[in-house]
Amino acid sequence: MNSAITIGLSDILLISPMIALFVFSLIPLTIKVLRGNREQNPAASMIEALIGLALSAALLIVFSGNGGATAFNGQLAFDGLTLWIGLISIIIGGGAIVMMYENPATRGAQFSELLFLTLNSLLGALILISAVNLITVFIGLELMSLSLYLMIAMSHEQKISKEAAIKYFVLGSFASAIFLYGVSFIYGSTGTVSTLDLMKNAELLLKNGNHLFLFGFAFIVLGFCFKVSIAPFHAWTPDVYQGAPTPVTSFMATSIKAASFAAFLRIIASKGLIGSDNLFLILQWFAVITMTVGNVAALIQNNFKRTLAYSSIAHSGYVLVGVIASGVSENSAYGASSVVFYLLTYSLMTMGAFAILSMIEKDENNFVQTDDLAGFAKNRPVLALCMTVFLLSLAGLPPALGFFGKLYLFSAAVNEGLLWLALWGVINSVLGAYYYLRPIVVMYMKDGDCNTSPQSNYATAVVVVISALLIIGLGVASGPLFNMIEKSLG
Amino acid sequence: MMLSLLVFLPVFFALVVAIWPQKSTVRHLALGFSIIEFLVSLLMLQKFDSNSAALQMVEKVSWIDRFGISYFMGIDGISLMLVMLTTFLTPIIILGSWKSIDQRVKGFHSALFILQTAMLGSFLAMDAILFYVFWELSLVPMYFIVGIWGGSRRIYATVKFFIYTMAGSVLMLLAIIFMMNLTPEVTGGVMSASLLDFYKLEIPFISGDFFTTQTMLFFAFALAFAIKVPMFPLHTWLPDAHVEAPTPGSVVLAGVMLKMGTYCFLRWVIPLFPEATEHYGWIFIAAGVIGIVYGALVAMVQPDVKKLVAYSSVSHMGYIIVGLFTMNAYGLNGGLYQMLNHGISTGALFLLIGMIYERTHSREISKYGGLASALPIFTIIFVIVTMSSIAVPLTNGFIGEFLILLGSFQYSPAVAAVSVSGVVLGAAYMLWMVKRVFFGPKGQLVLESEKDAHHALHDLSAREIVVMAPLLLMIFWMGLFPNHFMDYSKVSVDYLIKNKMNYSFPTGAEQAHTEEK
Repeated sequence: MNSAITIGLSDILLISPMIALFVFSLIPLTIKVLRGNREQNPAASMIEALIGLALSAALLIVFSGNGGATAFNGQLAFDGLTLWIGLISIIIGGGAIVMMYENPATRGAQFSELLFLTLNSLLGALILISAVNLITVFIGLELMSLSLYLMIAMSHEQKISKEAAIKYFVLGSFASAIFLYGVSFIYGSTGTVSTLDLMKNAELLLKNGNHLFLFGFAFIVLGFCFKVSIAPFHAWTPDVYQGAPTPVTSFMATSIKAASFAAFLRIIASKGLIGSDNLFLILQWFAVITMTVGNVAALIQNNFKRTLAYSSIAHSGYVLVGVIASGVSENSAYGASSVVFYLLTYSLMTMGAFAILSMIEKDENNFVQTDDLAGFAKNRPVLALCMTVFLLSLAGLPPALGFFGKLYLFSAAVNEGLLWLALWGVINSVLGAYYYLRPIVVMYMKDGDCNTSPQSNYATAVVVVISALLIIGLGVASGPLFNMIEKSLG
Repeated sequence: MMLSLLVFLPVFFALVVAIWPQKSTVRHLALGFSIIEFLVSLLMLQKFDSNSAALQMVEKVSWIDRFGISYFMGIDGISLMLVMLTTFLTPIIILGSWKSIDQRVKGFHSALFILQTAMLGSFLAMDAILFYVFWELSLVPMYFIVGIWGGSRRIYATVKFFIYTMAGSVLMLLAIIFMMNLTPEVTGGVMSASLLDFYKLEIPFISGDFFTTQTMLFFAFALAFAIKVPMFPLHTWLPDAHVEAPTPGSVVLAGVMLKMGTYCFLRWVIPLFPEATEHYGWIFIAAGVIGIVYGALVAMVQPDVKKLVAYSSVSHMGYIIVGLFTMNAYGLNGGLYQMLNHGISTGALFLLIGMIYERTHSREISKYGGLASALPIFTIIFVIVTMSSIAVPLTNGFIGEFLILLGSFQYSPAVAAVSVSGVVLGAAYMLWMVKRVFFGPKGQLVLESEKDAHHALHDLSAREIVVMAPLLLMIFWMGLFPNHFMDYSKVSVDYLIKNKMNYSFPTGAEQAHTEEK
């Protein structure tokens, strides 16, 4: 802490993806101000935001593609994890922005503001992913979450979205507080908040029975469990997911969750689980409970969005299995790459399912029940086929991407001797299959007149079709992709 | 390239059918495609060398190298006939469903072709993950075929079918992942999912101890296949699926999909876990024998003719299980032969029931009676197929059941004694059904049709006779000249029996038959 911090060109280049996001987040807003507070054509706003995302992703690849660089004296790491999770968050976030453009709940008079918040939330996510300092982690977490609270609350008509925003705000703040509390204990017991320092010492500190440190470490882990909706800290998820406008839900369930998991992974991969058997055991039970609670609760939902919310909880449980596997591993790259691969898989298929839901919603107060999907296959055969791909992939059926995600995840677990977690995982896949089949049954085998809303014409449909093709295509070509991820994480 | 062509040609067909613009010619197109596929398989049959037990026409390309998963296909005498059965039945199914499938015709034929790919793939895949991909893929089109074109309780039946089968196979997936983690011992440090490397594994087995690796893996695999077969007491999904499925769905299900289970016992379970198979084989023999008798008894009291045939399937599949687990030459050859027989005779029965259902819209046995006078050709064909199903000499069923009974006698006379009772019971329920449906006093349906000219019963059309002719031909051909068919599988089966404790495909010959990639 004695050396003066110098900022060089390399630092600026490394954070250029974040700068791009921030600059482009201002463009639609500035135009609105210059036009006398009148919205420009929402299509133009959307395209500006998408250009920002594309630029950001390109800069991330160019400057972080080689891996291993750190910026600002080791405060932000631009390694393989940052690169991949960053790309996933940004690209899947782009899908959410397209949905926002066509969804009735989000395309209103405040579209520019919504885009501003979305891009800044992504900026927070990038900081969160790359941070290797617990204080920076907190800054990223808050920037990401604060933008999100507003995005949820922005919908005009729905009472339920205000309720969701308050709920998310209160519980999210609570989780942040727990996280900060843990950081204070870690600083108190070790004198450092750098994750890199912790990675070297955590195992030893825990083995030597440093209770203060264990306390702090456990609190940090719990804080993350809140954020990624691990049971028993998942209770906010269904309500918030249901209350938020569908594109925002999609954004939360994919980009935000992937980013939170990346930060979680960074901290767990510091061999913390090797040091503390209790923490290791508790997290394993969390994983089992999360998978089971998510899947069992999803079985009895009639609201399609709630079904997807519980499904997202269940998938958090699967991901946690991989996080644990990389936490107890001497070579965490294998487990970590299976987590990254699964997050990619999960984000893609969940985004697709939400996108179709978003196309079906007719107005802001329209809650799509699963039974409302009847007749969709007759009216929109291609979209129904895409939906089938997403749902079967979520259920883990080959040759869709979801199967390979699970295969790698459970291989990593079995490789670490966590056979029983893998066993719970596969049993839960069967439970999951039951509720993922229900919308397919309704779409194809029941009569009805479900159709997309007239505003949702092309843009979201393009996102849907691309995701479905990617799920099949990347599924078949998953080997090289996994190799790339593992190589850049290793 | 032969096998890849065979497996993936139907995917191409499915795509073409799905985007074919002209609705009226979809059926013709699909029929043509399925005949092309059959011709390709005949070409493959011609290239097959029946004197070698080696894996032939091997194709191996690395797929997911990090986990040693490869695109690895091969064929030997055991899978050959099942592949032929699949390609043989498909044109018959398409022609047989000409009238009965009148909605979403394109979707139906696409699903059928995808299903064909999945079934052929599971017979030919020699890599565990590749196999699993095809195995699970086969659920999806079948799920749609039953769910969209099925009867009134179709949704219940199709979801039950899907969940039941998937529940069985996820444990197999876990077992496969576990075995992949064991393979570095035999490959020199690299993971592999190749079946050949799995064969090399020496998985520890302690007799009498349930919680040993080999026993657990054995049951994980066996459960998946036993549900698919389905073996008593895991058969409950089958009657539902059969009754609710449309005629072509029932034919595929009975004809080929059930064989995936029994075939995989031969390909995976017996060679991979020989000690466990020997030690716990009695469980499967017992379940098979119970299945034979139970299926027959339940079939006897069914009021619905389709359900009767469905339960007769449970009984017949019991024979195959018994045959395979006797682990001797008679049993294995008979089991393999019976797989083909059951595919042909039960497939034919379901087609016939579909034809009569199209005419009367009823499957209740009590409403029939005296059909023979109204539908003479139909009756003759039905009786011949019945004879095949109850294993009357000169028909194919006789050869298979006789061999299985010989094998089971070698295994234990008690097993043979109980199994024989199944033959008697089988004859009883089938003949009794034939008597009630075709002979005796004219039933309600026949009387109605005589009164009302609009509902007159027409005998089989030329199309329907064409559908049945190849099946009848096969019934007698396989019954009179079993060697024409068994010669293809004999070497492979003998080799398996001789080397069952340390099985692997013969390697010297394997090189010779490997196609240059």
